[in-house]
Amino acid sequence: MSGAPARNVRALRPEGPRDREHELWLVGVSHHTTPVEIRERLAIPEEDLASAARGLLADAPSVVEALVLSTCNRVEILAVARRGGDAGDAIVRFLARERAVAPATLAVHRYQRRGKDALHHLFRVASSLDSMMVGEPQILGQLKEQYRIAAEAGTAGRLLRRCLERSFRVAKRVRTETGIAGKAVSVSSAAVDLAKRIFDDLRDKTAMVIGAGKMSELAARHLQSHGIASVIVTNRSFDRAVELARAFGGTPVPFERFPQYLHLADVVLGSVTSTGYILGASQLHDVLRARRRRPMFFIDLGMPRNFDPGINDIENVYLYNIDDLSRVADEHRAERGREAVRAEEIVDEETERFWRAMSGQDLTPTIVALRGKLDGIRRVELERALAALRRLEPDERRALEAMTSAIVNKILHVPLSVLKEIAQGEDGEAAAEIASIVHRLFALDSASAADVTDEAPPAASTPRAEAGDDGEG
Amino acid sequence: MEPALLLASLVLYLVGTLAGGANVARPGEGTRQATAIALALGFVVQAAAIGVRSIPLGTLVIATFADQVALFTCLVAGVYLLVQSRYRLAVLGALVGPIGFVGALVALVDHGGARDLPPELRSPWLPVHVTLAFLGNAAFAFACLVSLIYLWQERKLKAHSVDFRMRGLPSLETLDQANFRCLTWGFVLLTLSILSGVLWAELSFGRLWAWEPRTIWSTIVWMIYAVLVHGRITVGWGGRRAAALTIVGFGVLFVSFIGVNALAPGRHAESFG
Repeated sequence: MSGAPARNVRALRPEGPRDREHELWLVGVSHHTTPVEIRERLAIPEEDLASAARGLLADAPSVVEALVLSTCNRVEILAVARRGGDAGDAIVRFLARERAVAPATLAVHRYQRRGKDALHHLFRVASSLDSMMVGEPQILGQLKEQYRIAAEAGTAGRLLRRCLERSFRVAKRVRTETGIAGKAVSVSSAAVDLAKRIFDDLRDKTAMVIGAGKMSELAARHLQSHGIASVIVTNRSFDRAVELARAFGGTPVPFERFPQYLHLADVVLGSVTSTGYILGASQLHDVLRARRRRPMFFIDLGMPRNFDPGINDIENVYLYNIDDLSRVADEHRAERGREAVRAEEIVDEETERFWRAMSGQDLTPTIVALRGKLDGIRRVELERALAALRRLEPDERRALEAMTSAIVNKILHVPLSVLKEIAQGEDGEAAAEIASIVHRLFALDSASAADVTDEAPPAASTPRAEAGDDGEG
Repeated sequence: MEPALLLASLVLYLVGTLAGGANVARPGEGTRQATAIALALGFVVQAAAIGVRSIPLGTLVIATFADQVALFTCLVAGVYLLVQSRYRLAVLGALVGPIGFVGALVALVDHGGARDLPPELRSPWLPVHVTLAFLGNAAFAFACLVSLIYLWQERKLKAHSVDFRMRGLPSLETLDQANFRCLTWGFVLLTLSILSGVLWAELSFGRLWAWEPRTIWSTIVWMIYAVLVHGRITVGWGGRRAAALTIVGFGVLFVSFIGVNALAPGRHAESFG
């Protein structure tokens, strides 16, 4: 058999225990390593992603599959290349030419991962652990979308599909099992988070913005983007209030009369400069009566403070000043950090597991196939013999059955324990090597009719360890 | 048959408790669903056990204290399913699980012969009257649980200390609404149960009202909840005050339920002998 057809057979099945020929590569730049001036030059518009990936395949003959991921924080190329060459270099050269960046510049900033490290990096990116805002949800959507583009363009094949689909599952697991995506970390998002703890639905709520400070504007915008429907704006200068109200699509009210409107507001943001409190506890009692004691959330961003701290003691009134908010944000950040540690552990674990399955260090499929093969031979021969010995009593048949099983088990005993021992060990190369030898010695991949048994699929099928966790997705 | 069902429901409630506890420790969709499913199955199996026990009698088994506890906790689990489907409160599962567990345990320990009721109580009114009363109590139990969660979260928010355990909890407003709904349902059911009792007494015994401990306590409980529901609707009571009163109301209800059954004489208790 010539070399070419043999390679075709493997190309059809790049995964599995005997794929010694392909390797995963990842080359990229991200906000961790590269300033924005360079990132923006490398960034590839979405409509060009497919052609870029095709260009890489044409340009670098060793690369057989490619996926380009380009967001504002990263440009990465994930590729499957034939073993032996330096696909990383080829990718860098291609990217430099394609985006007209000096190769030397790119070489300084780019990172390059291979094999298991590339997989690990992919899992971290998908799980939003490599993001600027750890836990932000967009990256997974972008990865999915850009993978879809690569799949449709035909540049992402089977190996990338397995890796990407697994990365989506890992990301999902990280999201459901840890809290990295759950918490607000900035002051204004902490305010939104608190508003959501108090109110059921922000869409039927009203916010009042007292004073036209930068912080309160930011917080109000944040609240608006989370559903707050109507905004009342007041300011010492009424003109400025009108201006701001226009920006928010809200209603301006004169500063002197704002207490009259206070009962309409569920969330009140204060950021005026004033020598005393602009709102005291006694005033608030009337307001609360007017709104039937529905809860109110006061956010004091003023310096000095705008609201009498005593109002926090009034039932159904919650007052947070800037320090309280940043403490909440800090707590969230700390928690997110703790959760990120757990998330990293999950990613490590998943990488290890998937890598074993991919590289053939997981010998379970080999063991299953070997056992199935021998048992299949036993059964075929046994049936043949029983057909010839038709006059046997049932217990004699059972004895034959038992004897043949015992022979197979005795033969298998030592080889299987050796295989298991190797599978436990650290040496993935050795495991894959052994697997490949066993497959050849026992012709485990051939599927001639006599060999087929109902319990042992040929080794090329999905490894068991992997099939086992498919359920979680 | 019946012990097997009770044992199964016991295990399911235990599973629900553990899943609910896991959800409190680390909120997540998986454990929330596991809690709801385990408790739903526990409810169905325990209801089947009560059914099996009731069939030979031809009426609901409530003659013994154990039977009453079992019926009540079973209805609590049933009401939980309704509340859960609306408010997704996995935390409640962690509280309802143990309640169901205790109910099933009491029934399992004391599942000997189902005692028949005295002849004068054998009436089609009985299951109606008792089920209404117990359903009402279950609704009040939920109003109380929801209020406990409300108070805890409210205190945290007032103190400006935000806790990761809040992640799985609904907002204060939602909890307050849940409290109101549970209270309203409980009040309607309690009222209907008292009315059915009055009608039954009138039709069977020829007098509307018997002054005995259970009726007196029921009236007290009814008045507490009447004030509370009225205050909520007309004065706009809500939040902490309503939550605290709800808990007080349920405390009185609980003590009277246990106390009257254990100590006091009267028709409601005479079946225990």
